[in-house]
Amino acid sequence: MPKQSFREWLETRLGWGQIVNFLQKKEVPRHKHTLWYYTGSAILIFLVIQIITGFMLLLYYKPTLEKAYQSVTQIMTEVSYGWVIRSLHHWSATLMIAFVFIHLLSLWILKAYRPPRELTWMSGVILLFLTLAFGFTGYLLPWDELSLAATKVGTEIPSTIPLIGRWVTQLLRGGADVTGDTLTRFFGLHVSILPLSLILVLGFHLYLIQKHGMSVPLREEKQNRPLPSYPFWPNFLLRESVFWLILLGSLITLSLFLPRGLGQPADLMAPAPVGVRPEWYFLFLFQTLKLFPATILGIPGDTIAILLVMVAVGLFFFLPLLDTDPAGRKGKVITWAAVAFIVYAVVMSLWSVL
Amino acid sequence: MKLKDSLFTRRKFLNTLIGGWLTALGATIIQPVIKFIFPPYREPEEVILPAADYELPGPNSFKTFPWGSKPGILKRNDDGSLTAFVAVCTHLDCNVTYLPEQRKFYCACHDGWYDENGINIAGPPPRPLRRLDVIVEGEKIIIRRKGESA
Ligand code: FES
Repeated sequence: MPKQSFREWLETRLGWGQIVNFLQKKEVPRHKHTLWYYTGSAILIFLVIQIITGFMLLLYYKPTLEKAYQSVTQIMTEVSYGWVIRSLHHWSATLMIAFVFIHLLSLWILKAYRPPRELTWMSGVILLFLTLAFGFTGYLLPWDELSLAATKVGTEIPSTIPLIGRWVTQLLRGGADVTGDTLTRFFGLHVSILPLSLILVLGFHLYLIQKHGMSVPLREEKQNRPLPSYPFWPNFLLRESVFWLILLGSLITLSLFLPRGLGQPADLMAPAPVGVRPEWYFLFLFQTLKLFPATILGIPGDTIAILLVMVAVGLFFFLPLLDTDPAGRKGKVITWAAVAFIVYAVVMSLWSVL
Repeated sequence: MKLKDSLFTRRKFLNTLIGGWLTALGATIIQPVIKFIFPPYREPEEVILPAADYELPGPNSFKTFPWGSKPGILKRNDDGSLTAFVAVCTHLDCNVTYLPEQRKFYCACHDGWYDENGINIAGPPPRPLRRLDVIVEGEKIIIRRKGESA
């Protein structure tokens, strides 16, 4: 047998040369809006931190009615650096969700979902909902007063959907009420079902991005001249890593100086505490719900509110199919809809905290 | 030509057979799976409280009791009778509390208010609080679902 280097031996078995080749040839277009390309990898960075800190918290957390609150207290007070890890998990989730929003909204405004990238957008919307589901299920796990009340409201909302609503609520809660069973169910979702689904959809999303390359904004595309670009490796990646370092620094600073606290233990029989509020990313929905009157023309206000939200979600998901004329008037209206949505969400969120 | 045609038909036949079999298999599997993920739930038929613990001396005094996994509120009325409510908001399911000074039930989640008879008077709640039947039997106070008292 002829002598081979270890490198060649591996190469024959793995064929990684193709990937290296691909990365070396991959080019990232360079224009005014290149900055927005960084938002995607920011999400990935936080995802990796979530996975690592999540594994760590799993070593001590106990997902049962009797032990949940106590085990989180233990993480916070006894486990070495426990409070830091929990705080990192919280802040990294917050930043991850923030970047998911920024990522989607910037792509909406830049119309990156134009053909052939419709499925990239749609899988991205699914990833948004998976991320929100992570946030919603994770919020309950410390089992304190506020998380219990917020989860009661959050899981009750689907029950106002006509016909199937009650069903959905029961499915989420693992019963008619939020109980220890809900906690165990949410834990299972949070650490197993959601992560597996996320990895699958994310794999699909990333495959599509590699397949189609980076989208170029309409205005640049129209100019019909070749755009300057960087090689992905190493130029773009190094630039990105500077951004990652800034993010990492911000994350650590937030986690250390604004550590995540823990409220009073949840009590299923106690009246709801004053100031029940969901996490910030649900605030605009919370405020919207609060503004709806109890009934409109004999139909419960909540039912109307949730049906409207469902329609909005549907429009958002099918956005690439609706925006058939990106450069024309319709396209402009759709861009302005994004701006209107941002204004609406910010105003509503601020209103609910003031 | 003939051979080709007949082969195609045979394949189609087998595909249908396998497809049908898979569908049937899927259908038989999905039903128990769905059954499994919905937990069994039964609201309590009745709850028995020791009268000694729920004396409620003055009118307008109240005490909570567990009604399955929900809280209930037992309240003494001005005429001396007792009323029981499921202390859960009819809006979005938060636990409510009774404020005796104001003679109102209050839900902190979205500022919902009910009067002392559990009628929704302000805020988002769409319906009155659910009432339960109260039967005092010597040492026991029996709380039953409405309309099921024998
Ligand atoms: S849950 Fe009671 S007012 Fe909304």
